[in-house]
Amino acid sequence: MSTTKDFIVEQLKKEIADFKTETSEKSIGQVLKVSDGIALISGLDEAMMSEILMFKTDRGEVAGVALNLEENQVGAIILGDYTAIKEGDEVLATKRILEVPVGEEMIGRVVNPLGEPLDGKGKIASSKFYPVEKIAPGVITRASVKEPVQTGIKAIDAMIPIGRGQRELIIGDRQLGKTAIAIDTIINQKGQNMKCIYVAIGQKESKVANIVAKLTEAGAMEYTTIVLAGASTSASLLYIAPYAGCAMAEYFLDKGEDVLIIYDDLSKHAVSYREISLLLRRPPGREAYPGDVFYLHSRLLERACKLNKDYGGGSITALPIIETQAGDLSAYIPTNVISITDGQIFLEPDLFYKGNRPAVNAGLSVSRVGSAAQIKAMKKVAGQMRLEAAQYRELASFAQFGSDLDEDTKKKLERGKRLYEIFKQDQYQPLSAAKQVLIYYTLINGLMDDVPVEQVHNFEVGLYKQADANQEVIKLIAEKKELSAEIEAKVKQLISDYKISLDYLLK
Amino acid sequence: MKISARQYAESLYQAAQGHSKIELSGILKKFAFIIGHNRDQAKLGEIIRIFQTIWSKEEGEIFALLQSARPLERSSSQYLVEYLKEKTAAKKISLLEKIDQSLIGGFILKYNNRIIDGSVASSLDALKNKISN
Repeated sequence: MSTTKDFIVEQLKKEIADFKTETSEKSIGQVLKVSDGIALISGLDEAMMSEILMFKTDRGEVAGVALNLEENQVGAIILGDYTAIKEGDEVLATKRILEVPVGEEMIGRVVNPLGEPLDGKGKIASSKFYPVEKIAPGVITRASVKEPVQTGIKAIDAMIPIGRGQRELIIGDRQLGKTAIAIDTIINQKGQNMKCIYVAIGQKESKVANIVAKLTEAGAMEYTTIVLAGASTSASLLYIAPYAGCAMAEYFLDKGEDVLIIYDDLSKHAVSYREISLLLRRPPGREAYPGDVFYLHSRLLERACKLNKDYGGGSITALPIIETQAGDLSAYIPTNVISITDGQIFLEPDLFYKGNRPAVNAGLSVSRVGSAAQIKAMKKVAGQMRLEAAQYRELASFAQFGSDLDEDTKKKLERGKRLYEIFKQDQYQPLSAAKQVLIYYTLINGLMDDVPVEQVHNFEVGLYKQADANQEVIKLIAEKKELSAEIEAKVKQLISDYKISLDYLLK
Repeated sequence: MKISARQYAESLYQAAQGHSKIELSGILKKFAFIIGHNRDQAKLGEIIRIFQTIWSKEEGEIFALLQSARPLERSSSQYLVEYLKEKTAAKKISLLEKIDQSLIGGFILKYNNRIIDGSVASSLDALKNKISN
């Protein structure tokens, strides 16, 4: 006992004896003006862009970040309690660019944009820091997107496939299930070798608490970090949040791992940046956003990438979310982000209220790189399926006018109805790629034409049960990732075996 | 067009350069007239403040604040003045000394938006940070 005590005391003494402070010259300034999370500071001759500034107040130190470097003053956003800062307070430049703690320790935690824990699970002992702002990887370091991100959502994985390293926008009005798609995707990453980061920007804390509970329940917090800048947080923290989340993702990228990052949502981010810019007296432009609001999002989303083998082969897949007002896709921020991303998933109110959930509009949603990332088996069924879906959409609008339709058209309409029935999927029930292939295979080969439309859901559930009971087929598809003639025969066998047991089939 | 306090101060400095005292009073009269004419009397306090900083910068004069826990010996403060002269190439250093017990030991030197913190209090602070992390 006593030896360990002596040891500890000795170590402590040594630590203190060895401790040396360096007396160095630092740049200081005085606060000229404070308002709404913004400070104007005189002095600070050598302040750098996005350098951390320390405000010495009566209530302790408060951190800030330099954003406007002008001839005679510096404009800074305040990251802490700005009510503590008074005019004339001293400000110290730290010569450090704004950075956040990163590392494995962040996994499973809920943190604020500065990397401080919000979940009450104690201190995060991280020794590594990454800068919040970083230039995106260049051309030399990148590779083309070729591995899939399985969202587990039937409509998306088949029609709008997302690849690792892609940026896919989720866009739609409020309350249409944008966040639901993102959360389902996180849940489905279990065992897929993917780290997830969910950045909540200006979300209600109750909503985030629900999400955390749901992810914990699904066992998804084991590979997920949540960066929370809630609705009551100051604009400066909202502004930093997505960059901080991206910095945490870049740590895993540099280790050669795959990361999925969700920015929920960037419209609120743009609004908070507008607030900061207007307070800093930058000139307003369209919709009062500052001139660099495009760069705000492009520099963030450009950091999503797929690196080539020489640079570790990691990837960051970004799923930004944009909330539109009354379906207006041509507003400023939606058009900006649509043009930056590699495709969008468009959610539509009409579909949602008709009961097609997820309410993905198959016509307006696109993925500009994803199909290269689909597994072979999925590619085979999805190509045909997309064609069926397009034909159905075209015919359905015609068919409303006349009942006199030829046999071929009727058949296509019937199959389309079943297809749209398959697209329906409940929340928190992601489906494996193999099962998706199975159901789509059933449809495009006409094996479902004799199932009544209202029975499609039951048929589907039963089919999955059958497949689970007979593991072989699912396993083969999941392992081989293609539909060879041999596997195809087995799939057909499985389906016909299953159909024998059904009593509701049409004659 | 509105003229800022800084612009007033800069033009006053330029106008006043290289003139004798008698000439200066004429210049100042004109300057005061312009300010009154433009109804910028409210800016006068700011103008004087900025003028002083411009003057001391251009004339190589530095105002420094030296805080220490105990009165420093003449030789040590002289040493610091020499150090500043060498470092900033200033012609004149006006050193204001202040006693601040809370520093415990050492000194803090502030000049030209810069700070050299060699106090025991801040070293202890740094040690505290190091141990608690």
